[in-house]
Amino acid sequence: MKRSWVRRLLGLHGMLFLIFVYAPIVMVVVLSFNANPINMMIWSGFTVDWYWSILGYPTQLNEQTLYVESTDQLLAAVKNSLIVAVSTTTISTVLGTMTALALYRYRFRAQRFYQGLLYMPMVMPDIVLGIALLVFFVGVGVSLGVISIIIGHCTFLISYVFVVVSARLAGMDDTLEQASADLGANEWVTFRRITLPLILPGVIGGALLAFIISMDDLVITYFIAGVDSTTLPVFIYGMLRRGVKPEINAIATLMLTLSFIIATLGLYLRRRS
Amino acid sequence: MARRGDTRRLAFLLAPASVFLGTCFIGPLAVMMLYSFLEPGLYGGVEWNFYHWNYGRILGWADGEWEEFDAVYVQIFLRSARLALTNVAITLIICYPAALWVSGLPARWRTLVVFLITLPFFVSLVVRLFAWVLILRPSGFLNSSLLGLGLISEPIDIIFTETAVLIGMAYILLPFMFLPIYASVEKLDRSLLEASADLGASPLQTFFRVTLRLTLPGIAAGAVLVFIPSLGNFIVPDILGGAKVLMIGNLVEQQFLSARNWPFGAALSVMIMIVMFAAIVLYLRAIGRQEEVSP
Amino acid sequence: MRVDEEALDQETSIAEVREAVKRFAAPEGGVVTALNGVSLKVREREFVTLLGPSGCGKTTLLRAISGFEELDAGEVRIAGEPMGGVPPHLRPVNTVFQNYALFPHLSVGDNVGYGLDVAGVARTERNTRVGETLERLDLGGYERRRPDQLSGGQRQRVALARAIINQPKLLLLDEPLSALDRNLRKAMQLELKALQHDLGICFVFVTHDQEEALTMSDRVAVLNGGRIEHVAAPETHYYRPATRFVAEFIGDGALFPGRIEGSAEEPMLVTADGLRFAVAPGMAVGEAATLLLRPEQLGAPPESPDGSLGVVEARLEQSVFLGASHQFVCRMANGAIITAAPTGGGAEKLSGVAYGETVRLAYRRDQTHLIPEAGDGT
Repeated sequence: MKRSWVRRLLGLHGMLFLIFVYAPIVMVVVLSFNANPINMMIWSGFTVDWYWSILGYPTQLNEQTLYVESTDQLLAAVKNSLIVAVSTTTISTVLGTMTALALYRYRFRAQRFYQGLLYMPMVMPDIVLGIALLVFFVGVGVSLGVISIIIGHCTFLISYVFVVVSARLAGMDDTLEQASADLGANEWVTFRRITLPLILPGVIGGALLAFIISMDDLVITYFIAGVDSTTLPVFIYGMLRRGVKPEINAIATLMLTLSFIIATLGLYLRRRS
Repeated sequence: MARRGDTRRLAFLLAPASVFLGTCFIGPLAVMMLYSFLEPGLYGGVEWNFYHWNYGRILGWADGEWEEFDAVYVQIFLRSARLALTNVAITLIICYPAALWVSGLPARWRTLVVFLITLPFFVSLVVRLFAWVLILRPSGFLNSSLLGLGLISEPIDIIFTETAVLIGMAYILLPFMFLPIYASVEKLDRSLLEASADLGASPLQTFFRVTLRLTLPGIAAGAVLVFIPSLGNFIVPDILGGAKVLMIGNLVEQQFLSARNWPFGAALSVMIMIVMFAAIVLYLRAIGRQEEVSP
Repeated sequence: MRVDEEALDQETSIAEVREAVKRFAAPEGGVVTALNGVSLKVREREFVTLLGPSGCGKTTLLRAISGFEELDAGEVRIAGEPMGGVPPHLRPVNTVFQNYALFPHLSVGDNVGYGLDVAGVARTERNTRVGETLERLDLGGYERRRPDQLSGGQRQRVALARAIINQPKLLLLDEPLSALDRNLRKAMQLELKALQHDLGICFVFVTHDQEEALTMSDRVAVLNGGRIEHVAAPETHYYRPATRFVAEFIGDGALFPGRIEGSAEEPMLVTADGLRFAVAPGMAVGEAATLLLRPEQLGAPPESPDGSLGVVEARLEQSVFLGASHQFVCRMANGAIITAAPTGGGAEKLSGVAYGETVRLAYRRDQTHLIPEAGDGT
């Protein structure tokens, strides 16, 4: 029995929903190939010049713009983003996984407290965390740079990894660990040969999630990045404040391609498990 | 259940994260709260005396002068709360039917569609908001299309208004409303809907009496997850609102980076945290009451 | 497909299904035909059971009546009114679901009163009727409890109460007892039968348990592969099954397909591998038929058996004592298993036989039942 007009209406809503979600992104990608340097909304032909332009090569198009964004700064921002993302992913994946294992395996009185503590960074508004870290670093005397960004990212990324790995642990059949012990394996061997392989998709999923979030983070990084160490999102934000330029479309398209690839990889891994 | 060797193992697993979070998460928050009670120095920096007038200013009384009541900060708070609540409503209206639609799709499509819905949210905030700037500005996509189609004669002013900020915040926070609602709708026992129809309830009645009631936990979770970031948001009002739509977030950013009045900024942040905790407590209470109602 | 249609007037039939066809898309591709031309008439005040193995279409048929499945062909009529296109909430039928489907967010009282509430019945009247119905089902005073506080049996009765309070013309029950443990189940079978009798409502009951069907029903519709094999009273299905499927599904027994030989007065059923059975007259010589011999028909023969008995030889393989009966599992010359469960003193004679020894089993010739088909439904 189908209330078909209701289903059709919902279907329409669903389609509009997806269009709403994707239209801005599609637009950015399309415009990144638009050869019109003055009015972005008018299509003047297909070009990849904007991409060459951000890599620093002079092109026909950017001769007409008022000034060219410094490629050095852009590449430095990319480098910083990657350094931060890789480091913070490593640290937070290890710490997050350890904490997930601890809370899964053992029951102890402070458990509720710990869970609350771990959920807090995810729920808290970015700006509160950002300025708290700023105040802290300045007060303690840590200079603002790549290190401070890494520390800052870790504070909330540990929580994300924790949540992902915990979900994976919860879905795991715990009699498997018992079987391993029954067959004579000690804790470390059981962990290495049974638990870890089973939760590995979750750990990798958590790591990928952390990587993407770190690469994309804007608000917290904005406050705790020093003058010399911008990350890609903060750099783009700066560009945006100075005016809209066609190059931004190209940078944005590259960024979102990277994000899509990583997210799809994450989904693929989860599907395989 | 824990044996003696276990405590050591537990400590080993828990220690690194605990130490780290203790110093780098709790620590900063504590320092921030401390700062909120300090007096701002004349040229930036702080003076180390207890100074409760930061909060006083927020509430309307500046620096001990009881006669001059200026509600400007209270107004900004209220406006932020209003926009945050409006955003909750908007995302709810957008996401609830979408969640119903997805849960009615054949099983093979569902995971794919959910993935497609969440995929754009792995793209950086800047990129997504930038896209909306391109759409909403006077020479942007929206206006160009409307002018081109002859529906309007002059560009509409959307950017730098509250509408633009709401659109931006809704766009950014959609998955936080969608995912909890979807999870809740997924778990719904279909035979309950059939039972309701069997007992004579029309589809509309079934929706209100059964579906909506049983998906309330998802809605509540979504509401909290959207409200809190909306309240403290500063990027969206900055990029899409310009100087014209001032929310708490913008205010805090100004205090820290332009006005250099860190204690006041810290006090504002603490207020945001208080509202955040209040929302969470309300949510947990509501969930607790629901627990008694449904398994 | 055979339908037992004698003397069912249009006036007294409360629900009717005509040539119902329903197809589903199979998950692996292709189409599954759940109902393949099913017709059934159900009378007021009767207890009808839809019986069959899983996948036979009984639940689909039930859902077609309640409106949760739209038929691809054929129609459903309730109290004479065609129900094509009428959604479930407008049909004068109520269902007791297999998992009970009690609303977790409502109390027992609100669950039971739900149908009345939706129909706009005033609160005071609603409360009275809820109270009465709960009393009737031995749940007096349970209004404020919550479903998750109840036992399985109690939940089952709440589901029943919720359905019958609306005084439907027809009550549909989808394997409502399958989640209960054995003793509770048996008790509920009797309770349900009594309830149906008191209420005077027609019950259409779905189960795969043939004992349950035989215990409770006025008539049983046996379904197989989307078709009705036969609709008849339980005794008819048991003593005179109309098809081979019914004979195999209901009760125990041995089946022997073959041909009628000999004379019209003293026919013999001869199987393909040469076994010969004396059978009752009634079928023409040369016709194909299947003989059914139930365990209680077989026992040790008297010293000199006369022509009224048929006798066969078999080798005793196992003797199983079940308390109420003593079963002797034997194997015939062609390898077929035949079980004897003699009543009275017959068991003693056979219990002395050693395993592997040949025994002779006798049955009354005039009590044999022949199914007019042999092998696979010819």
